[in-house]
Amino acid sequence: MVDEQMAGMAPSEAHYFNSYNHHGIHEEMLKDRVRTETYRDAILHNAHLFKDKVVLDVGCGTGILSMFAVQAGAKKVIGVDMSTIIDKAREIVALNGMSDKITLIRGKMEEVELEYPQVDIIISEWMGYFLLYESMLDTVLYARDRYLAKNGLIFPDKATIFMAGIEDGAYKHDKIDFWDDVYGFNFAPLKEIALAEPLVDKVTFDVLKTDSTPVLTLDLYTCTTADLAFTVPFTLTARQKDRVHALISWFDIEFTACHTPISFTTGPHAEGTHWKQTVFYLREDYVLVWPGDKIHGMLENKPNEQNKRDLDIKISYKLEPNQTKAEPKRPAQISQGELTFKMC
Amino acid sequence: MEKEAPGSSGSSDASDILDMRDEEGWEDAEPDVEESQFISLMDDEVFTDMMQMLDHCKAKHNLDFLEIRSRLGLDFYGNIKLVNYLRSQVHSGKPIPSEITKKDFDDEKYLKPVLEDDAVLFTLDDLPEVVEIHDEVNVQDKGKGVERDSGSLIARVSELEEELRKVHSQFSDYRDTVKTTLDKKWEEPSANGSAAPKEEPRDDDSHYFSSYSYNDIHETMLKDAVRTDAYRDFIYSNKALFAGKTVLDVGCGTGILSMFCAKAGAARVIAVDNSAIIDKARENIFNNGFADTITCLRGKVEEVKLPVDKVDIIVSEWMGYCLLYEAMLDSVIWARDKYLQPDGLMVPSHMNMWVAPIADPDYISDHIAFWRDVYGFDMKAMQAGIHEDAQVLDMPASTLAADPFPFLQLSLHTTAVKDLVFKRKWSGKLKKDIDALDGFIIWFDSFFIPSRTEVVAEDAKAEEWAASGKSGNAFTTGPGGKVTHWKQGVMLIDNTKEKPVGHKEGEQLSGELEYAVPEDNSRALNVSLTWKFESWQKENSQSWKMR
Repeated sequence: MVDEQMAGMAPSEAHYFNSYNHHGIHEEMLKDRVRTETYRDAILHNAHLFKDKVVLDVGCGTGILSMFAVQAGAKKVIGVDMSTIIDKAREIVALNGMSDKITLIRGKMEEVELEYPQVDIIISEWMGYFLLYESMLDTVLYARDRYLAKNGLIFPDKATIFMAGIEDGAYKHDKIDFWDDVYGFNFAPLKEIALAEPLVDKVTFDVLKTDSTPVLTLDLYTCTTADLAFTVPFTLTARQKDRVHALISWFDIEFTACHTPISFTTGPHAEGTHWKQTVFYLREDYVLVWPGDKIHGMLENKPNEQNKRDLDIKISYKLEPNQTKAEPKRPAQISQGELTFKMC
Repeated sequence: MEKEAPGSSGSSDASDILDMRDEEGWEDAEPDVEESQFISLMDDEVFTDMMQMLDHCKAKHNLDFLEIRSRLGLDFYGNIKLVNYLRSQVHSGKPIPSEITKKDFDDEKYLKPVLEDDAVLFTLDDLPEVVEIHDEVNVQDKGKGVERDSGSLIARVSELEEELRKVHSQFSDYRDTVKTTLDKKWEEPSANGSAAPKEEPRDDDSHYFSSYSYNDIHETMLKDAVRTDAYRDFIYSNKALFAGKTVLDVGCGTGILSMFCAKAGAARVIAVDNSAIIDKARENIFNNGFADTITCLRGKVEEVKLPVDKVDIIVSEWMGYCLLYEAMLDSVIWARDKYLQPDGLMVPSHMNMWVAPIADPDYISDHIAFWRDVYGFDMKAMQAGIHEDAQVLDMPASTLAADPFPFLQLSLHTTAVKDLVFKRKWSGKLKKDIDALDGFIIWFDSFFIPSRTEVVAEDAKAEEWAASGKSGNAFTTGPGGKVTHWKQGVMLIDNTKEKPVGHKEGEQLSGELEYAVPEDNSRALNVSLTWKFESWQKENSQSWKMR
């Protein structure tokens, strides 16, 4: 049945569901302490919210969140996942003696039949790179609209995307300029591809050369899939005189329903997560900034029309020099640009 | 596939990812003949230097290209049109007006090159600017200081940089136009052959092209300096072998090996690849001025029609995980039997394959035992596939429980496809006490030997080759060497069913090692091992899939 569904999918979509089958990704996610422990704390420290409740786990994977919910006193947990990993989740749940509390269903959220018309709480770890790449947020929103009881809770319920500017000369040289001279040959066509894709990588705190700014907050109780395509302005203020080679993005996740609010960040200023940060290299080598300079920008994101799991991202920016301080040595610099990326 | 994150910022991390310091003066790898040929705009004389050619046109035909260019204030496209206009007039025997005006070559058709691979078009960028003397660096104001002046100079520099950027982007547009025209031409020969690769579903292709893995895999391979350096070193150190020869590059990827060969003086290189990457290879080759030496063909080597009957050298980077997983060796052997001259050379020429037993309690506890207690839950179910599949990991040399055993040599000049499935004996002696035998690792050493007749010992180690004083070079993918993108194949023994037993240093063990191709998937590889300690009554066995 499910295999037939898979057969009917576009290859890219089938790949999405299949790529989760491998162990490595689950091992990596479970070993992402920031992620797993924040979910655990949000659930276990709020047993009063979970006691005797019906919980839906969207994209349950190995079933760890479902099991936390049972530990917190849930009456029933329904875990839904499209991937074959759910067979492993079933074995794991049985091995841990929770088969009577947890029902696992393989299929797409939009197509499966739940035994409960309504659930009290939705839990989901749906976030992707750049928050939204290959994310399951649209599925979570569908589940919310269809199943969540009035005054029901969503764990987590708030996500915020941040931007900042970084100095990254050496690494940009290695990833981008590399293609200009490959063993003495010019490989420019591959440089174009490298520039067209954001890079997901670990950024250290010391390379942040501007302050960071929130650019978009999603409230999971109210947002809609239409909100996942957006164009938002942002302004970054330079902290020091330096070169900015790239803009980066990360996100924070909050569980505001908790007795004591619980959250985690995927930013460069905190313990690393498997989401790392997303790096958008400028086309020009760098923008030279002086303290107090502003980089005004616009971040546009929309799902690709052909493959909705891919993202088309546009960033335009323009430097506004700090007028209050005269910088006599300052050259006239053309510091604006428009960057187009595809995450796929 | 999770790659190591090299720390986006860390210059120290980033610095040695591509260690090109051992360039060893390969700049002189050019063949002794010049490769750029500038055909005169006005007749059929050929020059090796653009300025000489223009001087010739001026002296002999009274055509001052630089003067026309600055008089008409031509932009980048204008220059190209002018060149093509002149060429087409000369070709069709039409006169050239003494005072050329923009109108003469206004037609868009002059954007299309008249000559194939016209070196002149790709050197227009390098022509001297007609320098206008800017008096911004005015000395009158000396007293006020150099600061302002250098400021305006810097401003001028950034203006010029901006111009340069514009020119670059125009050039890249133009290149695309040219590429489209040339592509059409290149497609023609294969269109009547059996390979018809252009029926690719457009959407898949573009997805494949832009996907992460696409660029990543080529970047990973090119930055695998052990691999790329070995090919480069062999080709550039043996220029005499390549000079004037015809070379076939099977699975050319981005075209790097073909360009090494062309640069070393090969008369002709035929680069074949069945992947869409060949479009990028074609561009790379074109951009680097080798389009007249290297011919790119898209398709399977078994199906494309080569423009030659025989080749002198076959160069290929066909090696896969555990050497033979998803390897193209079948195709390389096929190509050798069909196209290689009887005395032709295979590059690389020999592969020695190694197996060694391992004991690595840390790895086992991090990745196997881990699943028994995940935040208090038992996830034993996740262990299942770990012992069924061979894994690709870089293991430290300290995990080796015995010295490696050379279980097979493939000599590329003689190996047949039937030799790629085999069962071989292996043995070893523990070099330390172990609590458990955790598995085996497999790797290969690759040898590049300049002569067909040279023998490589079956137990020759790549890391000892240079010191042996023999000709050629070699690299290892083993745990002792610098890590390569092949890492090692790791086969973990399933010790979860019963408590494993410890063994003492000096104990002997032996068994058989088999490579087989499963019937249901010719792309996959099954590796089976048997092993028995001297003291055992019965041997143990297990099979792993690479898929």
